[in-house]
Amino acid sequence: MRGQSGTGTGAGTNRHPEAGADPEALDVRPVILTRVNEEQLLVDEATGPPVELGVFSGPLDLLLHLIRQNEVSIYDIPIATICDQFHAHLEAMHELDLEVAGEFLWMASWLLALKSRLLLPRHEDEQEDPRQELVERLLEYRRVKELAAILYEKDVVRRCLWTPGFDAELPPGETELDWEEVDLRLLAKAYLEVMERFAVAHPPPLQLMPLRFRVHDKMREIYERVRGEGLLALLRDLHRRPDVDEVVALFVATLELVRLGAVCAEQGRQFAEIYLRPGPLELDLERLARLDREEAGDGA
Amino acid sequence: MERELLGALIEAILLTARGPVTTEAVVEALAEDGVTAEEFNSAVEAIAVSWDRADSGVRFERAAGGWRCVTPPELDPYLRAFHGVAARQRLSQAALEVLAIVAHRQPVTVPEINFIRGANSSAVVRTLLDRSLVRVAGRKKVVGKPFLYRTTKEFLVHFGLDRPEDLPDPEELVASEEEPAPAD
Repeated sequence: MRGQSGTGTGAGTNRHPEAGADPEALDVRPVILTRVNEEQLLVDEATGPPVELGVFSGPLDLLLHLIRQNEVSIYDIPIATICDQFHAHLEAMHELDLEVAGEFLWMASWLLALKSRLLLPRHEDEQEDPRQELVERLLEYRRVKELAAILYEKDVVRRCLWTPGFDAELPPGETELDWEEVDLRLLAKAYLEVMERFAVAHPPPLQLMPLRFRVHDKMREIYERVRGEGLLALLRDLHRRPDVDEVVALFVATLELVRLGAVCAEQGRQFAEIYLRPGPLELDLERLARLDREEAGDGA
Repeated sequence: MERELLGALIEAILLTARGPVTTEAVVEALAEDGVTAEEFNSAVEAIAVSWDRADSGVRFERAAGGWRCVTPPELDPYLRAFHGVAARQRLSQAALEVLAIVAHRQPVTVPEINFIRGANSSAVVRTLLDRSLVRVAGRKKVVGKPFLYRTTKEFLVHFGLDRPEDLPDPEELVASEEEPAPAD
């Protein structure tokens, strides 16, 4: 275990002055290596191995690397040493502003937990090695790595194979488009399809028109005219009005007045003119106007 | 069928076929012409041998249970230069690991892959799906119903395997490397 983890691991900082005799050993700066050079993996007992940031595909990968680097058995991992080295790697990653994925932190805490458990005296009845689960995970992962290595060897060669009709396999983005050969009909068709999809995805918004005719207004209008003129030809009046909304409002108003008994409607025969006359009920126009105002107030 | 004609026909079929050509497919299509499986197999193997030489740009190889026509890998740089395409992307270490897990344990879910690798693999699986090297093969009947993944025929073709079982057993690979130390 190295006792100087708190002094920082700044690039070029000499963390181990006692090892000064060997200039090679001073270099504990993180080194990015894509391939681990076996020559550099010899462990220096005094300083521990230099931190190497290879491309590790996960915490198990890093752990296997450390085990190999320390030349220890996977079945008997010196947890304290490996745990410290693992943390040194995480620190180095932080220094280089590499994003340390959560799974690395999870593994670091697992190692810490194991380390502290191993420091405690073990119970008599405790048969299982606390490292057992980690060993199994590592063995399983190592099998995967072996298989991946075989796939890699195959991939290196076999992605250089070409087959008949290869150009049909190329994704369309990679082919260069010859504008002379663009079929305009197909282009237009594609455009229409796109627009159709767009229309389906973006239906016209529901339009709320301002309220232009109120039934209550029309009720007052008809009531006053019927009272004033004594007789009103409804259909002729409706036909004169070009606005459908107004016709609807007027007709509903008429029905309402008839229902209340404020006007009477007469029709000689089917489809003939409908005449409106004053009814038995006298409408309180003031009250109607007040209702109108309240309604308008609600709507505002 | 005459041996000469059969040889020519096999070359023509493999040159025009998109994927690996199986013996069964050829025999079924040419049953009326009296082509048997033995005839086809011996003829196609003879052609494969005759083309496997330095001055030939065509090879016959077995993949995914059939035969297909490919170019020798060493011609790749020249072919790329001629066709003006970049080198095909290498599979990342993570992708190879995920493929190894799927190939060895299929059908398998992403959580299972994550556990074995000790790292999140969902993005990698997506990439492999895009490259048609793995496929969704149903859902596992556990909480959350995760998708189950299998390798594809494309996987077999790409790695030159007849069947997924043709991959070596990782147990054997590791066993030869290190004997377990006796536990104390």
